[in-house]
Amino acid sequence: MNDEPTTAKPAKTPRKTPLGIRRRHVLIGAGAAAGGLAITRVLGLHHLGDLPMLALPGQTPAPTGVDWISPLDKTEAQVAHLLRRATFGATPTEYAQSVKDGFKTTVDRLIETPIAEPPALPGADDATQEKPIKPQELIAWWLDWMLRSPTPFGERMTFFWHGHFTSDFRKVNLQTPFIYWQNLTWRRMALGNLYGMLYQVTIDPGMLRYLDLGTSTGRAPNENYSRELMELFTMGVGTFTEDDVRSGAKALAGWREPVTQAMYDALVKRAQDQGRPAPRVTPDTTKTGIFEQQRAYVGGVKFLGLTKQWDVRGVLEQILAQDSVAPFIVTKILREFVTDQPSDGYVKRLAEGFRKSRYDVKALMRDVFMSPEFLAPANYRALVKSPTELMVHMARALETPALAKPIGVAGQGMGQTLFDPPEVGGWPSNASWISSNNVLERVNFAQVTLTGMPKIPPFKDAHVTHLDGVVSPATAQLLNSSPDDATRWLILLASPEFQLK
Amino acid sequence: MKELGGTNGLTRRDFLRNGLVFGVGAQALASGYAAVPDVFARAVLAAKSAQVQNDRVLVMIQLGGGNDGLQTVIPIGSSQYRDFRPQLSAAAAKAQPINKDVALHENLKGIKKLYDDGKVAIVQGVGYPTPSFSHFDSIRVWETADPTRRQQDGWLGAAIAKNYDSLGHPLVGCACGTTSVPGMLRDLQATLTVVDDAKTFGFQGGQNVENVMGTLYKSTPGIYGALFDTAMTTARDTVAQLRTSAAKYTPRGNYSDKVNLVYSSKNQLAAALQLAAELIVTGTGVKVLHVTLGGFDTHYTELNRHDSLMNYLDSAISAFHDDLTAYGMADRVIIATWSEFGRRPKENASGGTDHGTASPVFLIGDGVKGGLYGETPSLAKLDQGGNLSYSVDFRAVYQEIMSSHLAVDAKEILGQSFDRVPFVKMQA
Repeated sequence: MNDEPTTAKPAKTPRKTPLGIRRRHVLIGAGAAAGGLAITRVLGLHHLGDLPMLALPGQTPAPTGVDWISPLDKTEAQVAHLLRRATFGATPTEYAQSVKDGFKTTVDRLIETPIAEPPALPGADDATQEKPIKPQELIAWWLDWMLRSPTPFGERMTFFWHGHFTSDFRKVNLQTPFIYWQNLTWRRMALGNLYGMLYQVTIDPGMLRYLDLGTSTGRAPNENYSRELMELFTMGVGTFTEDDVRSGAKALAGWREPVTQAMYDALVKRAQDQGRPAPRVTPDTTKTGIFEQQRAYVGGVKFLGLTKQWDVRGVLEQILAQDSVAPFIVTKILREFVTDQPSDGYVKRLAEGFRKSRYDVKALMRDVFMSPEFLAPANYRALVKSPTELMVHMARALETPALAKPIGVAGQGMGQTLFDPPEVGGWPSNASWISSNNVLERVNFAQVTLTGMPKIPPFKDAHVTHLDGVVSPATAQLLNSSPDDATRWLILLASPEFQLK
Repeated sequence: MKELGGTNGLTRRDFLRNGLVFGVGAQALASGYAAVPDVFARAVLAAKSAQVQNDRVLVMIQLGGGNDGLQTVIPIGSSQYRDFRPQLSAAAAKAQPINKDVALHENLKGIKKLYDDGKVAIVQGVGYPTPSFSHFDSIRVWETADPTRRQQDGWLGAAIAKNYDSLGHPLVGCACGTTSVPGMLRDLQATLTVVDDAKTFGFQGGQNVENVMGTLYKSTPGIYGALFDTAMTTARDTVAQLRTSAAKYTPRGNYSDKVNLVYSSKNQLAAALQLAAELIVTGTGVKVLHVTLGGFDTHYTELNRHDSLMNYLDSAISAFHDDLTAYGMADRVIIATWSEFGRRPKENASGGTDHGTASPVFLIGDGVKGGLYGETPSLAKLDQGGNLSYSVDFRAVYQEIMSSHLAVDAKEILGQSFDRVPFVKMQA
């Protein structure tokens, strides 16, 4: 696996251009490249055998009719697979360390190291109408931490919860610190207990605004949060009734957003400037929602089969008592970390453990990574990287940490602007990321990034570190016939293999 | 390589590589976009079954989040409307009456004008049995045209796959102003393209990189292999198409995305519709287009937000219709709006409305027989949950689009027949 790729030399030594890429050579070389055997040996390519195709239900098998040959019986590939899924891809140093530690020790390290906090985003705590947070700065702030956090699993989980308990800056609005706080909260709770997480989510100021619980009252309840709490956050569609939605809305009503000192000061100043009386609010010191009894619903309602006077804690306990919660969360996690099509038995097994652990997310993630399915051949390259995962992995592979801003900009063209998911259900997943627009944008990002780098790191055995040495004949041929490292990097980063995890 | 039915065995590659596309497209341009269907479009659209052959185009506009039908086609004649909506009913006084019972939102000025010209059909009370109040579930029902949730493919994707040679042309189905394939178009057997921004749709590094990528995305193994390979082929074909189209097209409508939405998703409806117009009038053979305007999930402060959305929608549709009219193609194209559900008649504490049921569908184009269809939903007879009852199944609208406009077998897609809603003026 660690053979140096003795790539075919181009006919002539390419002239040193800023990039050193002469693609005419690539094409000519590709046409003239040697047969599959040589490529296989040179690149450590596994033979593409006649394994049965894994068809998506209701979809036709790929006409190529072959699957990747799994290398997951080898430690190197196991840890690389883990780092692609549990983090944003490894730098060569992290890869080497993890190979040395082995799979289980790497899982332990990822899961048990306390999550590191990012440095504060300057000015964000004091955001006001006059001094809003700039979306590009917020996005780059998080991406920068994805690129260099010492605890990348924590960032990966924060990213997962950002898509699950989602909010967007358009509705939450950047004239408050709420969406910035939400990111900090999601990170702190990322490996906690689901009950505690749901409590923090429910009274999170950004969420109070995004799903309207902050303006819901017992007299005229707003159903938005009640519905999505059950449908998207915990139980799944079809597991509750419309009456539960309405009762839940009553049971949850009574919360409002906090007013920060900066927001209060700005309100006062605006009133003074416009000659209006001072606002009748006072600043709050808490960074969570505030419960006001007079806005709550008084009286018993029937919610998920039980009639009583409810509060948020009671509602969440009642939800977590439902059988649907553990399988729903487990399915979502498996689709993000293991396979787009987890079997019923797999879901059931992990869900039982999750519920038994009283919804301990850390225990669940350990179960996920240590399950035999995680390293099963069928689940090798069974997931598609989201744009953020793809680009952060690219930057880490190239050891170029200063790419936060370009990644933020490029994410928009690929359908993933952080803090701005397309819908209340969060981000698309897997096959949904593949479209003509997105393959083009992904390839363009690789090309533009490489073009912009003053010095491109040596390719060495990047095809092993990042692709486990398992590549298609087309990729092998192009890598083999590339005239220089810049071209090799372009082929690797733009390849279908690199889009997968 | 699969052959195009009924086109002398020419393949897509032949069309694209041998310049046939561009040659004929250029001819059509030279003849000033006569209303006569252009030869290329007909050739490409020559379908699997010989009788399916026309030059009609469908543009679906998704109003994402659940458009409030009662604030769009406002029941001015109903006293319950004001009772249910003490705040939101302020819209009634300024609305544009269609008859004594209903009026169009005041900001739908361009659409009202088209309505008065007989070019807008409004199907009222569109929904389906046992409605879902979940965005995703109800979107899926509308996308697959299947309230039983058995179908995976989008109804338009299936229509493309079953009727147009999916290998025949990359632009038969196109989503504009988005990054991924919309559910309505999804079907593995259909070739579909997605263009977020036409101006930046090209390979950085030029033709050399593009060629390398064509080689790289070939016979890719694995469950996603074919998807990746097809996406790359389609991207390359689309780049070629857009290069020709852009050079031949000047917008003749007043498109603008410089709108101040009170809160919404991305403002690019006008740009998306402008790209749709470009693809239509330059004879690329595009058949089905999909664009989206989000922000309709108006749970709070709906009055301002919905006003701004109506204004934006109206200006974008008006520009699009003007553009097509100037190019002499407004009779070939039908715009159809859709939304996963309407909203609850009773407003909530946040000055907004919660998820509801039936809402109106707009069909706009010179080939539309204008007027009101379906029944105005009754606010006096709400269901148990306080929601409107539907009077027209959404699949009846699809059926009319397919059989009368696109001239494809609707029953093959829908699995059953519905009472006709005859809003298509000229049978295809």
